[in-house]
Amino acid sequence: MSVLELRHVEKRFGEHPVLRDVSLTLEAHRVACLIGASGSGKSTLLRCANLLESIDAGDVLLHGQSLGDPRVDPNLVRREIAMVFQSFNLFPHLSVLDNVLLGPRYALGRDRAEAESEARTLLARIGLESRAGDYPDRLSGGQQQRVAIVRSLAMRPSVLLLDEVTSALDPTLVGEVLDLLRDLATAGTTMLIATHEMAFAREVASEVLFLEEGVIVERGTPAQIFDDPQEPATRAFLRRSE
Amino acid sequence: MTDSSEGTGPDPARLYLPRRKVAFAGRRGTAVSAISSVAVIALLVSVFFWAPGGANVRATFFSFHDMWVAFRGDPSKGLLSVGSGLITNIWMFLLSEVLVLAIGLLIAVARVSRSPVLAPFRVLATLYTDVFRGIPILLVVYIIGFGLPALSLGAISSQSPAVYGVTALTISYSAYVAEVYRAGINSVPHGQILAARSLGLTYAATMRRVVLPQAVRTVIPPLLNDFISMQKDTALVSTLGAIEATRAAQIYSSTVFNFSSYVVAALLFLVLTVPLTRYTDHLIARDRSRRLAGAS
Amino acid sequence: MRLTRLTLSAALVGAALTGVVAATPSGATSTPSLASCKTSIQKQEHQKGYLTVATDSPAYTPWFVNNKPSNGQGYESAVAYAIAGALGISKSHVKWVVEPFDASYAPGPKPFDFDINEISYTADRAKAVSFSTSYYDVQQSIVAMKGSKIVTAHSPAQLRTYQYGDQIGTTGLAFINSYIKPTKPARVYNTLDEAVAALQEHLIDALVIDTPTGQYMASAQIVDKKNKPLAVQVGQFPSVGEHYGLLFQKGNPMVGCVDAAIAQLRHNGTLGRLTKKWLGIYTSVPLIKP
Repeated sequence: MSVLELRHVEKRFGEHPVLRDVSLTLEAHRVACLIGASGSGKSTLLRCANLLESIDAGDVLLHGQSLGDPRVDPNLVRREIAMVFQSFNLFPHLSVLDNVLLGPRYALGRDRAEAESEARTLLARIGLESRAGDYPDRLSGGQQQRVAIVRSLAMRPSVLLLDEVTSALDPTLVGEVLDLLRDLATAGTTMLIATHEMAFAREVASEVLFLEEGVIVERGTPAQIFDDPQEPATRAFLRRSE
Repeated sequence: MTDSSEGTGPDPARLYLPRRKVAFAGRRGTAVSAISSVAVIALLVSVFFWAPGGANVRATFFSFHDMWVAFRGDPSKGLLSVGSGLITNIWMFLLSEVLVLAIGLLIAVARVSRSPVLAPFRVLATLYTDVFRGIPILLVVYIIGFGLPALSLGAISSQSPAVYGVTALTISYSAYVAEVYRAGINSVPHGQILAARSLGLTYAATMRRVVLPQAVRTVIPPLLNDFISMQKDTALVSTLGAIEATRAAQIYSSTVFNFSSYVVAALLFLVLTVPLTRYTDHLIARDRSRRLAGAS
Repeated sequence: MRLTRLTLSAALVGAALTGVVAATPSGATSTPSLASCKTSIQKQEHQKGYLTVATDSPAYTPWFVNNKPSNGQGYESAVAYAIAGALGISKSHVKWVVEPFDASYAPGPKPFDFDINEISYTADRAKAVSFSTSYYDVQQSIVAMKGSKIVTAHSPAQLRTYQYGDQIGTTGLAFINSYIKPTKPARVYNTLDEAVAALQEHLIDALVIDTPTGQYMASAQIVDKKNKPLAVQVGQFPSVGEHYGLLFQKGNPMVGCVDAAIAQLRHNGTLGRLTKKWLGIYTSVPLIKP
């Protein structure tokens, strides 16, 4: 069964359509990459998927269950669909450790000691355990983004949404974040990634979707999209981003 | 002009400060600033001594004898102590500050909420801040202090003037402080809220754990500013008949026809407010350095 | 408040002759003759050609009537015009200005010749301003709402137990603090009206005020819709030598001539007559002890 599914999703900001008839299915342990120009609707798609934005038509399903059902609590949904942002959005008033603990403790209501040992293990995995007591301002951008990813993982989500997580980074820091994502993909984490890193997408994605003006123009395996794009728009986009 | 023919390179002195500026640097700079401070103060004091009415002002405003008697009070002459009057000011503003912090926060949170359930509270909160920021505090003091007793409503109508004063100050200042909080809440980047909500935190938990802690840090200086202002406004409660520092000073002044008691009251208020302002600055600096230095 | 320092002989003689206690503030200049004053005073006037007289607003009955000092009615208004008359100044050359009590003793030039505003003489105050001799000798009285406990229970020990209130700077307030010495501190209001409001709302049990003002308050000011009095003057205290004097700028040379005028008015019975006319209806106030 699919973990996350979008069916004919429509989203408008006022009169302006941002998503038109978007459908996609993400199976467990698979990675899907969304590519497309800035403003093509990638971020909006991700936000609609975890109910940070409401949708105007269509349906979003988690483990086959419709999230359009009014009985569904969006807070419970978001605990399963984690999201990482372009600008990290770490909480500057909390230490690295407390950033990671915030969700487990105050959304999941978990015991501090237990959550803390798990958080420290996660921080150790990204080599930042020694910085647990530091405040985020003291970390580099790459370190901050890795903490942000760990903060999402601490929720033990079913699926991880990543919104251009390397776009705000200094080029020298992009590698460490992509390395972490590669590790996660290898470990079988289900991910929906909006990205500009084509080489990375080709490497980790099981499916690549090209989005233009709110429409999924073309989808396929990395080989199909990058080596043999069918649509003129896809070809034009790939030429531009080389 | 340097002589480059000696082959020693350019003259190092061309990079030096002008000599006049060297005098103001380092330890000598401290001495210079001390001297200039003394000179400015001396100038101000000499104006005070040489002005035609200077002697008169010194006798009526700065008589040490009167200042001391006003501070201590003299029951045999019916003079109340400005010093013990200040204790009334202190407990009035301590109590008001605690109440204002809590009530102002509730109002601010009601104003920024988008929940339809809270819609009536949002309207009320907006109305409240509009009305009570618009009415002079003195009038609120009068309305509460003379209005509530007139209702003849048992306990509500039989409190001491200081209690009515605390009520009036709390009502007025909650409106100001609510707006300070609201500005702080609005200054928290939207990404912070998105991040917290995407972790599955409820609106309330997001407010409590993410938005408010950051908002409060931002608004500590303006908040403390309002508190300093409120410490001074406790003097308005004197209009209800409460004997606090300014009222005791006024009684002294009107009994003896000497204004030195007001200077005593002013100095006592400074003793209260200056440590508070210094402490605020210290808090801000500490918070800043803690975040930048990364100590745990 | 300090007891008025009396020049004993003058006080005794004055009391014997007129029933009024006269006092000479320390440092008063020797009294010139009234005849010479009629010419000299013109040079001393604050505004040439006018005698500028100040009082607070609102001005209270029976010292003034209808808050209109220039109508010649009320004791202080009548006294001011009588003093002007004695100095050869016609009624149309007396100018009234409003001077809040708090401002009357501030340092610096004063915008009036003298202030007539039920201001008690004390030695402390005379360091900051100059006073004329007494134009009225004051006794303090207690005013309370009808039915209050204090109306019937006012032994010296009982008096200490009540909540008092008064206007700032009044000798009534000083009397409370220095003679009654209540266990609860008296509440102090900016104006007499606020103190009266507090009395009516039972925020205070009683206020202490000079006998004439207290009589007016109890008989005509604190009344119901049918003008039936709601308050009562409980009683008056024995004299402590307090008197009202006109307030001048410190060292104002006009004090001498005004003292001469007051002396004549007392001597020829004018002050006694005015006291009887404006304040004399209040005679049957019982005496109580602080």
